[in-house]
Amino acid sequence: MTTTHRATPVVAFTGAVKEFGAVRAVDGLDLTIGPGERVALLGRNGAGKSTAISLLLGLDDPSSGTVELFGQTPSHAVTEGRVGAMLQDSKPVSRVTVRELVSFVTRTYPNPMTVDEALELAGLTELAGRRADKLSGGQAQRVSFAIALAGDPDLLVLDEPTAALDVEARRLFWQSMRAFTDRGKTVLFSTHYLEEADQNADRIVVIDRGQLIADGSSAEIKHTVGSSMVSFTVPDGPVPDSLAALPGVLSVEVVDGRVRLRTSDSDATVSALPGVVTPRGLEVAPAGLEDAFLALTAHHSGRDGGRPFVPSASSDSAVQTPKAGA
Amino acid sequence: MASSIALVSNYVNLELRRTFRDTGFVIFGVGTPVLMYIMFTNVGGGSGGTDDWAVTAMVGLAAYGALSAGLSSGTAVAEDKAVGWLRQLRITPLSPAQVVFGRAVTGSLMVLPAIVVVLLTAMIVNGVRLDAWQWLVLTLLLWVGSLPFTMLGIANGYQLSSQTTNVTNIVCNLALALVGGLWFPISEFPGWMASVAKWTPGYRFGELGWNTTDGEAPSMTGIVVLVVWLLVFGAYAAFAYRRSGRKA
Repeated sequence: MTTTHRATPVVAFTGAVKEFGAVRAVDGLDLTIGPGERVALLGRNGAGKSTAISLLLGLDDPSSGTVELFGQTPSHAVTEGRVGAMLQDSKPVSRVTVRELVSFVTRTYPNPMTVDEALELAGLTELAGRRADKLSGGQAQRVSFAIALAGDPDLLVLDEPTAALDVEARRLFWQSMRAFTDRGKTVLFSTHYLEEADQNADRIVVIDRGQLIADGSSAEIKHTVGSSMVSFTVPDGPVPDSLAALPGVLSVEVVDGRVRLRTSDSDATVSALPGVVTPRGLEVAPAGLEDAFLALTAHHSGRDGGRPFVPSASSDSAVQTPKAGA
Repeated sequence: MASSIALVSNYVNLELRRTFRDTGFVIFGVGTPVLMYIMFTNVGGGSGGTDDWAVTAMVGLAAYGALSAGLSSGTAVAEDKAVGWLRQLRITPLSPAQVVFGRAVTGSLMVLPAIVVVLLTAMIVNGVRLDAWQWLVLTLLLWVGSLPFTMLGIANGYQLSSQTTNVTNIVCNLALALVGGLWFPISEFPGWMASVAKWTPGYRFGELGWNTTDGEAPSMTGIVVLVVWLLVFGAYAAFAYRRSGRKA
């Protein structure tokens, strides 16, 4: 079914801006998503992910710019039953069973799944007869998922779908989602878990302060940043500040006595090291997605001259940004 | 059009199940006016079933039961808004107009049990006798006439937070019932208060029933006043729904 709409993008943000008073939650977003793509919208809390999703679903109108789904207004696409969504912070409604709820949703869509199919995909077959408001957090999240997919929509939008889940529930959730996306559906989900984006999306869109700051496969994003991690210990004496000034070095971090240099040119960094310290146990590794993400958002904050970027580092690590040290 | 009716009835079906499973609502919604009717007509004065008071009070309390049930739709709306269900409904193919209309239909069906049970109680406990057409028209008019209160309740639900909705609905409930003379006839009010009462929807709603039990046609003024209130509350509901969408 999606193949007939190949010419038209599923999602198209064009210069979309959403202002709340003086705050620009979405600030000139341009983003196009084609049929069958699985896209992760990655960003920190407050980066503008949920606002972008509200615009996408027609729950809110952009202050300027346009947002289109399947070449139409979002609310038109929603009325045609082409969109299913799982919203953040939604709790199950009271006094209905899971089956009644899912069956209600299927009957609002033109070409739905069967109720049993939706229940099975969401892993709810066993819970079908239970009251939706008497379930655990993880089970309730699966009900929300069943509601999102029951209409067999062409586009599935999930806003932080795993935010409230423990590790095992999260694993089950992504398993269910893959079963659905294997049908060739377009999926957009927001997350602040990098690992989830890496494992469950073909394409990662990073936004920060309402702006798109990176867009590509996880490999491409790592490549865009082009950084690798040079790490070593310094057994004799303190870690010199001048490390930050070495060629290629983007940031200096000390974790558990081990120095970690994120660098855009590992060869240059390594060859310059002996002039400053005597490294022991030297390792060079490609940066993970997490490092790439930190680098992207740090750059972004720095360039705007706004608040300094504070990564969620554990308490036993110290972080220096190169510009501050130099 | 046909599919639109199917969509709305699907939604009404879901909401009716949810409402009637709320045993607290069913018991209080029906029980309160019935209990008040029995007390008003049998305790104290001991005026039995045959006199006018049994009929006047029957209409007043059936109307009061319908008014409360109509307003209580708002409590359900506020609850749905709080858990994010209204937002979820907005991303189903149901249009906003269908959601509001379905909610209004549900609300107006919810008022029926209170009306029917009060009338039955009057018939059985106080031996009230009316012509068959009077029972029928009375039920129908009290049912249709309760629409302004359902609209007011729904509007409060969209406009206000969950707790505020409850308090506001209780205040509206007491004020409309008391000033409208549904508990005590406005003939016993001081003159100025009686003339104020005649402009309120509560009084004109009860009047629909009293006209019927008197064997008269509904007063035209009464109908006009009720329709104006329906338009006012309907506009409030439409405004509040749009506002809730923007914020929610």
